Amino acid sequence: MDTMSNDHTGGYNRRRLLQGSAALGLAAFAGCVGTEPDDDNGADDADDGADADGMADEIDVWGWDIAARAMMLTAEEYEAEHGGTINVEEFGREAMKEDLRSRLTAGSGAPDVAMLEMIDGPAEIDTGAILEISDRLDEAGIEDDFVEGAWASLTDDDGAYAIPWDIGPTAVYYRRDVYDEHGLEADAIETWDDFIEEGQKLPDDVYMTEIPENDLDGVWRYQFRQLGNRPFTEDGEVNIYNDDSIQIAETIKRLYDEDVGRLIEGWSPAWFDAYGAGDIASLPSAAWMEGTLRDELPETDGLWGVYRIPAHEEGGPRASNWGGSSLMIPSQIDGAERDRAWDFITWTLATDEMQLLMYDEYGLFPALETTYENEEVFDEELDFYDGQPARRLFADVAEEMPEYEYSVNTPEVSDAINNHFFAMLRDDLDPEEAVENAAEEVADRTDRELA
Amino acid sequence: MRKQRQRDAVWKFLTYSFVIVMTLGMMVPLYWMMVAATLPQEEFLQFPPRLYPGTAFFDNLAVLHEETDFLISIWNSVFIAVVYTVLSVLLCSMAGFAFAKYEFRFKEPIFYTILATLILPIQLLVIPLFLMMSQIGWTDTFRAIIIPWLANPIGIFLMRQNMKSIPDALLESARMDGATEFQIFYRIALPAMRSSVAALAIILFLFQWDLFLYPLVILEDSANYTIPVALSGLEESRRVNFDQIMVASSLAIIPMAILFLILQKQFVSGILAGSLKE
Repeated sequence: MDTMSNDHTGGYNRRRLLQGSAALGLAAFAGCVGTEPDDDNGADDADDGADADGMADEIDVWGWDIAARAMMLTAEEYEAEHGGTINVEEFGREAMKEDLRSRLTAGSGAPDVAMLEMIDGPAEIDTGAILEISDRLDEAGIEDDFVEGAWASLTDDDGAYAIPWDIGPTAVYYRRDVYDEHGLEADAIETWDDFIEEGQKLPDDVYMTEIPENDLDGVWRYQFRQLGNRPFTEDGEVNIYNDDSIQIAETIKRLYDEDVGRLIEGWSPAWFDAYGAGDIASLPSAAWMEGTLRDELPETDGLWGVYRIPAHEEGGPRASNWGGSSLMIPSQIDGAERDRAWDFITWTLATDEMQLLMYDEYGLFPALETTYENEEVFDEELDFYDGQPARRLFADVAEEMPEYEYSVNTPEVSDAINNHFFAMLRDDLDPEEAVENAAEEVADRTDRELA
Repeated sequence: MRKQRQRDAVWKFLTYSFVIVMTLGMMVPLYWMMVAATLPQEEFLQFPPRLYPGTAFFDNLAVLHEETDFLISIWNSVFIAVVYTVLSVLLCSMAGFAFAKYEFRFKEPIFYTILATLILPIQLLVIPLFLMMSQIGWTDTFRAIIIPWLANPIGIFLMRQNMKSIPDALLESARMDGATEFQIFYRIALPAMRSSVAALAIILFLFQWDLFLYPLVILEDSANYTIPVALSGLEESRRVNFDQIMVASSLAIIPMAILFLILQKQFVSGILAGSLKE
């Protein structure tokens, strides 16, 4: 999402090109035989090539796009400081998930360290393929350095399995120029009622916000979390049919019925076009959206501002989280590789310098709470937001955001909410009915009881 | 008589209209892919979409090349697909010939067991195959991509059906003339099967060309990536590099298109050949 390709120096590309040409020659020469397998895949020989600390000389680390590139930076710093060789491999997102899942299931061939999205946390932990790290966490004493809300999806009854990396504190992005032109006041917005009221000042061809028809579950989820809910109770009962959930459905339906929100496919060409042209004035999203807006709509640089997501009632909570990821060690990795992997993970995620480096270069908002004390970074007045110190707002939201637990059945919840909320808008159904139907569908498909 | 001709004309008109509409329907995505390959990403995201070519093709190609070593991936894909196709056509033809023309014990059960493996989806085979390959140290090699798929049940089935049409008398007289069994296969059966071989070659080439999950898991070094694996790297978590993907996809269909153009005549007759029972 950054203009990554331009950031790399020629040297990097030349190197890759040379590697490539060498392989081309080799492949042509060796024919069907191909290249020899490299056996630096952790599990093989644990004691092989360990240094004085008992740590492996070399480990493999997997991540996708900017996350991988961010780790290339920290790996370079790590190697300079601690020695060892950290091979960071960059993948596409879905490709990495599939490849990794196969290797975790197979019980061999997995990398020494891999990225894990929080939304996938419970399902992956449930397979037993991820190393439990509670003892190491205790020994290092770093657990409290991270925002509390980030741990829920990375732990189960037995302990913790991954260290939080980045999170997505929520906020409403808004086009200052459009708000100014039509006399809307961002400061006046505290609740969704205010939001709708301000939105009605806009002319007919300009919408106050989007209603992403393909991501209604994302909208529901951040508000559900904002109100302090979890989708399943401690006993595993389906908890999505409650007053908060109904209130959220009502809010979404009001946005639609009062023509304040435009039903549109999120991230589609039409969507980007509408935000670029200012045809939609506000975008409730998370800290990571900045990078996308910078990248895809460079002409809007300096026109944006952020404020906290509206509350559902006056004085209600206005903090939530959308997205996030972590780093984990597969349980098939042991011995010297495991030690080196742990050393690299804690260096990358639990030191302020590295987290701030990754935030600065790639917009990965740190889950490491101790970084927020750095005023130089977090109170900086940013040109993109017309001088607003937006990072402080995100940091405040991060400290307040309630815990939320994804579950093994997150996909079923997403499907059900998306389908029934869309039906609610399309067929003008009662919001309570939509929520109830969604809850029943989840209960039915996951063999659970309704709470 | 005139009525008959009129009815034929109407029928022909309807048939052609239908075919033309279907063809257009299939061409539109291809056309859009090629147009999109020539647009910078901002213009690709424009709405309503631009439907005529732009000028950014070589810029997109340059970025693609920086990001993925794409030329090497094309080479890898061509190399793997060609080697695979040649070996697999040979193997499937030999197996098909054996099932069609020889009598041996358990012939039918063996044949139907092979056919039955068709119901196993590739996804199911990936993990056990990956384990096998890592146990024999073949991960990250081309042979691991090629060898496990050589005996292709569809290929064996297709060749068996078609080989059946070779008259036994022909084989018998060759035997009388002192030809070895392999000579009979190679000199008589295979040349008679030219169109089936062409059809099979396209099917197998396409199978290997499109294979994704398996090479994704097996291949590790990006210099060994095939086209689909390299393409998957262009999809990022919060944005998709459509411009590069479109360029890459446009390039990726070229070898396939060339192969099909060369073999299309044989392809159609080869597919139809086994469909008639004598």
